Amino acid sequence: MNVSLSSKVLHWCKTLIHSRRFSKSWMGKSLSMIQLMELDACTHCAMCTSHCSVAIAFEGIPNINILPSEKVGSIKALASGSPLTEQEIRELQEGVYLCTNCYRCTVVCPVGINLQNLWIKVRELLLHRGVPELSVLSPLSYYRGLMKGETVAGDYEEPLTQAREAISAQCGLMKKKDEVLHLIPVDEKFKGGLDLSAQAKNFSVCFGCQTCTTVCPVVGHYENPQEVLGLLPHQIMHAAGLGLRDLALGSNMLWDCLTCYQCQEQCPRGVSVTDVLYELKNLAVRYTKEKR
Amino acid sequence: MMKFALFLGCQIPIRLKQYETSSRLVSERLGLELIDIEEFNCCGYPLRNIDFKTFLLASARNLALAETKKLNVMTLCQCCYGALKKADFLLKENLSLRKEVNAVLQQEGIPYEGKIEVKHLLSVLDQEVGVEAIRKRIEKPFQGLKIAAHYGCHALRPSQIVRVDDPGNPSIFERLVNVTGAESIDWLMRLECCGAPLLGSHDELSTEMTLKKLNNGRESGADYLCTACTYCQIQFDTVQQMILSQQGSNPPLPSLLYPQLLGLSMGIPPEPLGLKMNKIPIREIGS
Repeated sequence: MNVSLSSKVLHWCKTLIHSRRFSKSWMGKSLSMIQLMELDACTHCAMCTSHCSVAIAFEGIPNINILPSEKVGSIKALASGSPLTEQEIRELQEGVYLCTNCYRCTVVCPVGINLQNLWIKVRELLLHRGVPELSVLSPLSYYRGLMKGETVAGDYEEPLTQAREAISAQCGLMKKKDEVLHLIPVDEKFKGGLDLSAQAKNFSVCFGCQTCTTVCPVVGHYENPQEVLGLLPHQIMHAAGLGLRDLALGSNMLWDCLTCYQCQEQCPRGVSVTDVLYELKNLAVRYTKEKR
Repeated sequence: MMKFALFLGCQIPIRLKQYETSSRLVSERLGLELIDIEEFNCCGYPLRNIDFKTFLLASARNLALAETKKLNVMTLCQCCYGALKKADFLLKENLSLRKEVNAVLQQEGIPYEGKIEVKHLLSVLDQEVGVEAIRKRIEKPFQGLKIAAHYGCHALRPSQIVRVDDPGNPSIFERLVNVTGAESIDWLMRLECCGAPLLGSHDELSTEMTLKKLNNGRESGADYLCTACTYCQIQFDTVQQMILSQQGSNPPLPSLLYPQLLGLSMGIPPEPLGLKMNKIPIREIGS
């Protein structure tokens, strides 16, 4: 009886302390009491990071918030009202999104913090700020899609629209349909930039037969595909060959590609169409990030 | 006994446990030893839209981990399979790329030398175990059960890399379905994508792809769809249920995983095969 009473009092005191400490920041106000207590319970033992499915991504994308143990630190700082710079908040947003939602962090946490739910909550709060997160246009969004029923409809769609708009805003030429294109000088820097890997070098041998476009199930799905998708696969190959960055990066087609490899499989010229589309997506992400 | 490092990926342990349990059960009966490597990470697939090098690095680390244990890898998910095969192909073919990746892996002391192979469950069953060996283990063959085998993209494409079967006219999945006594039906959309890659980024397009395929399977006379991929199964089971609960109609076609189908025909009871974990109920189909 006494034990349970004293633990209740202790719990109540802790709750009070936490609510005061976190009540000043918008993040603190938005997280649940349990999540705030969990933030304080973290001992930074880094067990989560050592079991994280995407910790290795930190070696390719040097954002420390990819690592769960460091994410907790940033969230804690934000919740207790520390002034994070806009850049730091964006990095946290990217960090919470670069996650396969595998729950391993939560399973191994020795303190029992539900880290996965914390990432999901913080992810939605940060996306709601309206700063485009380009990673939403990847299969990392699969779990968010499965959980759609738990998100308010507008809140769900908004980040997806914003990401696409952020990319198309960098590709002004897409909107100028009557523009005469200057092919000389070719944007050599852009063409060189496509040279990310040996697999995507071969777009220039495309002779425009349109097989890729004809076999694409996404193109086939629409009555007027160009209206929805922008440039179609063979046109994107052509744009890449001409070094026209805006046209190669600015189409919805890139983000609506199922990566089913039908186009690449059937190309009579052996163009790695799907692999080229993949790398154009990488370029669009990098280019848009740099321009911000 | 044939040994493989079992690559589960991120989704199976938390979202499709029955794929793991049913695969382990049938593997055990067929003399396949599956070794778990706890340090495995994401296969890299979902990172490929964002950054190619990061994808390659994530994928390569898994290959390197398996190589240190001198094990070939068996995947259950075809997106994992496609990603690991792609990375394996590039690292074996392109030495400068391998050097770059190994510079990072070397920090953990696990450079990848390209000495292992990556296989998918279907190819292990067909080529390593063999259909005749499987046939000997069938205790309760199905009768009159019609199955639409859904290949999944990365068992077939890009064929230069994945090398499971003829990409235009494959027969491996039908062969594996038929050995259970079920009849694999011919259907127009059997080689098409399930729609999963766009769920979460373009739901309308994703689910329309899924429904188109399910309707085609049903119209072609299938009782069930059969999958051998994590994303395909979640799409045809969980997502199909989501779509239909909104529309209030009956499922066009329930889906089960290949090791569940095979397990039932081997006389393994439905319970340990996790049939009850499928969201759209699989009625009693054991003969």
